[in-house]
Amino acid sequence: MRRRGRKRRKNVAYVAGVSMTPVTRTLGKPHKEVAAELLAEALEDAGLEKNDIDTLVVTPPNLAGPPSFMFVCALAEYLDLRTKHINMVECGGTSGAMAIKTALNEIFLGRTEFAAVIAIDQRFDLQPGQVDINVFMHEALQTQICLYGPYDSLYGIGAPIPYYAMSAQRYMEEYGATEEDFARVAVMLRNHASKNPLAEYRDPITVEDVLNSRYLSPPLKLLDCSPFASGGACVILANPYVTRPLPKPPVWITGVGEWHEPDHFIPQNGSITSFTSVKKSAEEAFERAGMEPVDVDVAEVYGVFTATELMIYEDLGIFPPGEGYIAVKEGKATYGGNVVMNPSGGRLSLGHPAAATPVMEMVEVVRQLRGECGERQVPGARCGLVHAEHGMLNGSIVFVLEV
Amino acid sequence: MKELITKVTWNSIQHYGDSASVKYYEFLKNRIFRTTYCDTCQKRWFPPRKYCPNCFKEMFKWVEMANTGTLYAFTQQERSLRFGKPDVIGIVELDTGERLLTKINAPFEELKIGMRVKLEYIEIDENITLHSFSPVK
Ligand SMILES: [Zn+2]
Repeated sequence: MRRRGRKRRKNVAYVAGVSMTPVTRTLGKPHKEVAAELLAEALEDAGLEKNDIDTLVVTPPNLAGPPSFMFVCALAEYLDLRTKHINMVECGGTSGAMAIKTALNEIFLGRTEFAAVIAIDQRFDLQPGQVDINVFMHEALQTQICLYGPYDSLYGIGAPIPYYAMSAQRYMEEYGATEEDFARVAVMLRNHASKNPLAEYRDPITVEDVLNSRYLSPPLKLLDCSPFASGGACVILANPYVTRPLPKPPVWITGVGEWHEPDHFIPQNGSITSFTSVKKSAEEAFERAGMEPVDVDVAEVYGVFTATELMIYEDLGIFPPGEGYIAVKEGKATYGGNVVMNPSGGRLSLGHPAAATPVMEMVEVVRQLRGECGERQVPGARCGLVHAEHGMLNGSIVFVLEV
Repeated sequence: MKELITKVTWNSIQHYGDSASVKYYEFLKNRIFRTTYCDTCQKRWFPPRKYCPNCFKEMFKWVEMANTGTLYAFTQQERSLRFGKPDVIGIVELDTGERLLTKINAPFEELKIGMRVKLEYIEIDENITLHSFSPVK
């Protein structure tokens, strides 16, 4: 792990405060109450008061569910928050990361000193007072039937698993990986989660457990996938020109990268085992930060399936193409290796409340870089990476963070 | 439930698709397998669109897509909204270059990446006919 001197750069901001809920089946309370709790905890962590916040960005409370008309305005009233900017950002899986980027842009514009980003996802059917889905089955079905577009959806695509299953199958074909190699990823992530009290799945599992779990969409089995979950997270971002002393050391966001390819799920020409969006967003983020993949000590990535996780490692440049599974087998992606990937337990074992996931990733990396992670602390972590994607990795965002 | 799914599918195509998706499914209903073609750019576009995304002129021309292709990847769904288990689906690369998601009419175990496949049609209801592909024996 090489170290470089920090250069003075434009367009940097820092994370001043973080908070997140445990990941669970249901939060069991309304979104606005969860948001208030998250904001209070993050403000305390940052040593700030509510009136210090001049930007509020959120994700919709039901990411893939019915629209949440003006939720952010209702939330601002609930929190009695006066802001120079308010926004609700939706872009599939990257929503939480896009919300962070929107808040960063306000800081870079020079309009904002402190911005709060709050992302909450709660299983649609488990929200308090949720309308019984049977009452509006017709509308729900009409939405669901074309959720994956008017061409793919008609073949019964109701969740993204089949896309990722075919991607996993191609990865096996192209690089000689096996289902056992995928299972090792799930085991590694579960080991990480076993030391994270906020994780939904903490009981140890073995390669055999993964291999014996039932096929959802071959080659992907139940334990290769991240089930729907509920949870929320908040980060408070700060303008570097703020001079007031804060209780915790700043965690700098030194690089941001983003790219979207126009394919919606299945690419007409491109590969389904390597993704332009991940490569280009990582290259941009590293370049802006003046860092390289080898500099990363700890990373949280949006790998929603075991095989996908490996492809992301490769496209980020952390391991060579087609060698992600070998790296995991050799213990290079965990404690004692080159870098610790998803120390939180990742999407598979921390759990995956989709809208909140990118923000939770940033919370974990910030806590790692501050050295607050106790049993799962990555020793001496100085450089961290956060990655999120949407579609079938048609779009990605990467943040590089440093202390 | 199956009846309801069928009933809302045509609504859904109109609501979430566009005029080209409607026309595409009208063609399929008549067992015609076509996509849009830009005369100015001399380029085929799939999925079909009203306007060429290259020059933004209206594409009036629909051209045949090949009824043969190669199996690029495939899987099987345990649960599917439309078809019961085993629901084998795959990505096919047509000989005319388009890649599409389709139903595969063969047991999962008998399939291999790179297999040659051939177009067939499945009638769903009075409005909807879907494409599907079978391995070439
Ligand atoms: Zn054109």
